[in-house]
Amino acid sequence: MGVRVEEKKLMNNGVTHSGSRFFWQQAQLIDRRTSERYARVLLRGPELPSDVAVGQFVLVRYSDDPCLPRAFSVMSSSDLGLELFVKTAGRVREKFRTAPMGTVFEVRGPYGTPYADKISLDRKYILVGGGSGAAPLLHFRRQYPNHVAGEVYGFRTEDACGLLNEIELTVESTTGLRAHEQLRSIWRPGLGILACGPEPMLRLLAQEYRQQPDVYVSLEARIGCGVGTCLGCSIHTSTGMQRICKEGPLFALEELPWLI
Amino acid sequence: MADLVLKRLDAQFASPIILASGPAGFGVELAPALDLPRIGAITTKTITIEPRTGNDQPRLVDCPSGALNSIGLENPGIDAFARLAHSQMRELPLRRILSLAATSPGEMETLAVKAAKLSGFDAIELNLSCPNIGGKITGADASAVREYVRAAVGVTSIPVLVKLPGDTGNLLNSSESALSVGAAGLTLINSVRGLRIDWTTGRPFLSRTYGGLSGPAILPVSLARVFEARSAFPEAVIIGTGGVSDLGSAIEMLMAGADFIGIGFGLMVDPELPQKLAVELDKWLDEREMVSVQEIIGLAHSGGFDVH
Repeated sequence: MGVRVEEKKLMNNGVTHSGSRFFWQQAQLIDRRTSERYARVLLRGPELPSDVAVGQFVLVRYSDDPCLPRAFSVMSSSDLGLELFVKTAGRVREKFRTAPMGTVFEVRGPYGTPYADKISLDRKYILVGGGSGAAPLLHFRRQYPNHVAGEVYGFRTEDACGLLNEIELTVESTTGLRAHEQLRSIWRPGLGILACGPEPMLRLLAQEYRQQPDVYVSLEARIGCGVGTCLGCSIHTSTGMQRICKEGPLFALEELPWLI
Repeated sequence: MADLVLKRLDAQFASPIILASGPAGFGVELAPALDLPRIGAITTKTITIEPRTGNDQPRLVDCPSGALNSIGLENPGIDAFARLAHSQMRELPLRRILSLAATSPGEMETLAVKAAKLSGFDAIELNLSCPNIGGKITGADASAVREYVRAAVGVTSIPVLVKLPGDTGNLLNSSESALSVGAAGLTLINSVRGLRIDWTTGRPFLSRTYGGLSGPAILPVSLARVFEARSAFPEAVIIGTGGVSDLGSAIEMLMAGADFIGIGFGLMVDPELPQKLAVELDKWLDEREMVSVQEIIGLAHSGGFDVH
């Protein structure tokens, strides 16, 4: 797992824990490209994790804002920094668009179970993203190029095209197609699906591929603690309650009978 | 170093900082982040007699200076807790408070009987004020409070605390009822019933429409409740919970009369907050040449500091 290892000594009994993911780390905004609705940002800090696993997310807050931090899937993670692709609506997200370069944000994480721990890597997948749900899938295609059989990234408008040069977008306003419709033309039996996007998109996808094996969806919720204790992100699954921040965010479609 | 230790409820607590019921879970997952010996106690997530899956998503929504939550007491039930989480929790080097909720005094008695068999708890906290489970809020009804407390006190020798609502019912009447039948103290307050609407869809954000507001937004409410309860009940142990997010608000809570400060929302935002508060409080007392935190508890009731 891509959990950064920074040993922290606790005072209680001298036991050493790898607890760095619980603590806020400072990160500077060092690069940004924006469109009307989206921003692609790079955050860098000496204590930021550089090996976040595909599918994991971080919590970000601006200054000491007395509100809940915001969860973002990581689009790339390296010595260069953490790259995020976000919709610029909302308190923290709007800051990504407006804050001057060099602005310090605070980041903690990574959280969540890596995709690779939940899917079988003996088959290929079609990646289906909707809006900012493209972020973890871009991470996946970079890390596991041999497991990608096709890609569909749905956007309502051309707005994000300039930000995601590395992929081809399915733009509804020009093609009249939505992601799940485009998917029909490339999916074939034997291929798995990895999807991340708004719930209506996931529902449409679930309706068509419910009977297929190896269909996974990455879910979103407002995250409270990020570490599995507050249960703000618990969801019903076929095996009982599970937490998006801990057992998720990726779930097999068959675990989510309510998603139809 | 000033003395943060408090002797209350027949025990010695390392500091007045307590992890409130909820965000800390059972403490096990957060343990690596916490400087446990600096923390007075952890309160468990509320346990019920049967497992509860809680409310549907969405359960959380942002608010200015806080959040609305509607978890709905998701928990594994007392038997599974005893089997699965209790032994791990007992290993944690800090004091523990067991939070319980029931739907009737009879059920509370059954639950308390089971709870009394679990070792390692220094107090039981009766959650009579969850705003997210529907029905009437027990803590708003003084005579119901009396029945629930009596049911628990009668079957356990562990001190019983009562968590009451800050926004409904008559707090002093409910507190009086609880204390008159043997409650050792009060936890004030639970989250405050609130609502947010997604103005882009015209629908409430939360699946159950209403939620409980916590965070700095409710600090003045919790301070007022603690202050009036301390005035009325000088001997009761009080855990002041609601909106403490920094040193200043922690000191305010103590000055209002709380023996302990419960940290809930603040822990979600920053898992390091409890130990930061303990360290900063210690330093603040030192700078003012005070030897014990005891010196500021209830200070606002006695005219504040002497100014020469």
